Amino acid sequence: MDGDLAAFRAEVRDWLAAHLTGEFAPLVGAGGPGREHELTELRVAWERELGAAGWIGLGWPVADGGRGADIARQVVFFEEYARAGGPGRLSHIGEYLLAPTLVAYGTPEQRRRFLPPIARAQELWCQGYSEPEAGSDLASVRTTAVRDGDTWRITGQKVWTSLAHIAQWCFVLARTDPSASRHRGLSYLLVPMDQPGIEVRPIVQLTGTSEFNEVFFDGAVTAAANIVGAPGDGWRVAIGTLGFERGVATLGQQVGFARELDAVIAAARADGRLADPVHYDRLVDAWIGLRVLRYHALRTLGESAGANASVAKLLWANWHQRLGELAVDEPGAMLAEGEPYALSDAQRLFLFTRADTIYGGSNEIQRGIVADALLGKVGRR
Amino acid sequence: MRFGWTADQVALREAVRDLLASACPPSVVRAAWPGGDESSVEALWSALTGMGIPGAVGELGLDEVDLVSLLEETGYAAVPLPVVETAAVAAPLLAATGDPGGHLPGILAGRTRVAVAGGLVPYGRRATLVLHLDGPAAWLSTLDGAVDETTVDGSLAAVRVPKPSGEPLTEDAELVGLAADRLALGAAAQLVGLGRRMLDLTVGYVRERRQFGVPVGSFQAVKHHLADALVRLEFAAPAVYAAAWALAGRRPERGRDVSTAVLLATEAAREAARTAIQCHGAIGYTVEYDLHLYAKRAWAVAATCDTDAHLARVAEALDLKGAAA
Repeated sequence: MDGDLAAFRAEVRDWLAAHLTGEFAPLVGAGGPGREHELTELRVAWERELGAAGWIGLGWPVADGGRGADIARQVVFFEEYARAGGPGRLSHIGEYLLAPTLVAYGTPEQRRRFLPPIARAQELWCQGYSEPEAGSDLASVRTTAVRDGDTWRITGQKVWTSLAHIAQWCFVLARTDPSASRHRGLSYLLVPMDQPGIEVRPIVQLTGTSEFNEVFFDGAVTAAANIVGAPGDGWRVAIGTLGFERGVATLGQQVGFARELDAVIAAARADGRLADPVHYDRLVDAWIGLRVLRYHALRTLGESAGANASVAKLLWANWHQRLGELAVDEPGAMLAEGEPYALSDAQRLFLFTRADTIYGGSNEIQRGIVADALLGKVGRR
Repeated sequence: MRFGWTADQVALREAVRDLLASACPPSVVRAAWPGGDESSVEALWSALTGMGIPGAVGELGLDEVDLVSLLEETGYAAVPLPVVETAAVAAPLLAATGDPGGHLPGILAGRTRVAVAGGLVPYGRRATLVLHLDGPAAWLSTLDGAVDETTVDGSLAAVRVPKPSGEPLTEDAELVGLAADRLALGAAAQLVGLGRRMLDLTVGYVRERRQFGVPVGSFQAVKHHLADALVRLEFAAPAVYAAAWALAGRRPERGRDVSTAVLLATEAAREAARTAIQCHGAIGYTVEYDLHLYAKRAWAVAATCDTDAHLARVAEALDLKGAAA
């Protein structure tokens, strides 16, 4: 590691030690998998704290409000963040999904308008893709947008919209040309959430808590200029959003995984299950799997993700789901509980990880992409 | 030799399935969660009592083989009451010990429900007595001093009871072991039923749910998941029935067979839950949809089974234990 990088690591570590304290002290370890609902207001304030110090958009060009940090520095930031027990992030949808989309497909005005508030966490984003009739089959979205003078007027329903209840903006995939074939009639719109035409209803999850929502658009409006790409070009932009390189964030996610695995091992040690060779084998397998995730992320760092994003998703989703099962693999682990529906960490991890192989593109969809793109498409779909 | 059901057993199973379809729909399982309307849960017990189920072993003269598919149906419906505990464990044990406390008439009349203590007491909040099975001894206690415990499956109505003292029932290790095996068999049967329910729900859903212009169930990726889950269940079910047969005949290998049934049924039910949630997609991860009621029950019932102990018992029966040590 070069000296500059070590200095950078020290800077991150010192900053976190100095700031993840006092009013923010309750956030250590909060908001992780299965606890996405926790301490939301304080976490929003924390995002602003991060934004003010320049930790959001670290790798963006300086001209876009970022710090132009190289990949190694971005990785260091994520590692140190996770190591310090930094809380689950709320600005990531803007930072990792919308921002690169605007850099790739947006206008200079859109970049100027939207990137700085993302970097300062003044505006949080949510993703308006899935609908009741458009899940895996995203191109079948029915939400419509029609031009009405200087605005787009949007009507329809989105679902499974994470963080819609706290976001100021939503990037919405909507049908703007009903006569065009299904992939061609879509547009990518940027829509403000705080308006009478939008209603957000929380959906209660297996965990008994709520992080995602239904979002109803009833003649909601956004300025005509808030379209990314041309009308009818929304599919290309939307798929682009999903394909940006996320290896850096993945490495940070893995530090969180390592903490979860440590906790599972500590629990096994405490209740004597380390002496059980079968359990022991499974813990070793989990550790090996995590190493593989890390090597895979390091190997593909900086490459455009494309279909490799599907490989990465399949690797970590299955690994994490198995970790959830390992966490409750002792008699009674799924029973014991204190407060009403105050789940244990192990139970929460288990329940949350049931969704890992579904959200963000199910395993079945990912395997289809891997088969088509990496193995070469064979015959009919 | 055909290892199949008699016409009477099939008829009984169908009658119970019909009864539970109307008396224990998902809305009743939901009502059994905290804050729900307990009266529908009480009505369910009345319906079960009306069919003679609490006293099935004594009154209807059923043995474990007759009982096992009935218990499977109570799993299929996720009955939120101690039906295995009362009908398959407590009632036969009371009958065999001469019912010193005179509880059997209350059980037959539907007034008395008996839960069984493990670490927690599942359905303790809906029971009038708690049966403790501990090594060679069995005794009954009341629920005085019981503390409510909510669990991942909120309909389990579990309690924790203080260090038990109460009415001694027997110190006949054979009888107590038989009761413990009946409890394990009941759990295995319910897990198979729960697995079948989750699979049925999922098959119904993937037939209706359309993406890419076709039902999602028409995709091989989905079909193969469901076929694998079915194969697991079909692999577990005969082992559960064989264990019932071994218990009914008091065969010497019954412990091994009950443990085998538990091991297969816990895995099959967990696999069915995983498959069902996966094939439903996000809707299966919500509480507004019914699937979670059955998945959480399956996880809870599986968690009451000490699979390590069951593995050890099978290993011992196969004379593998000594070799490993």
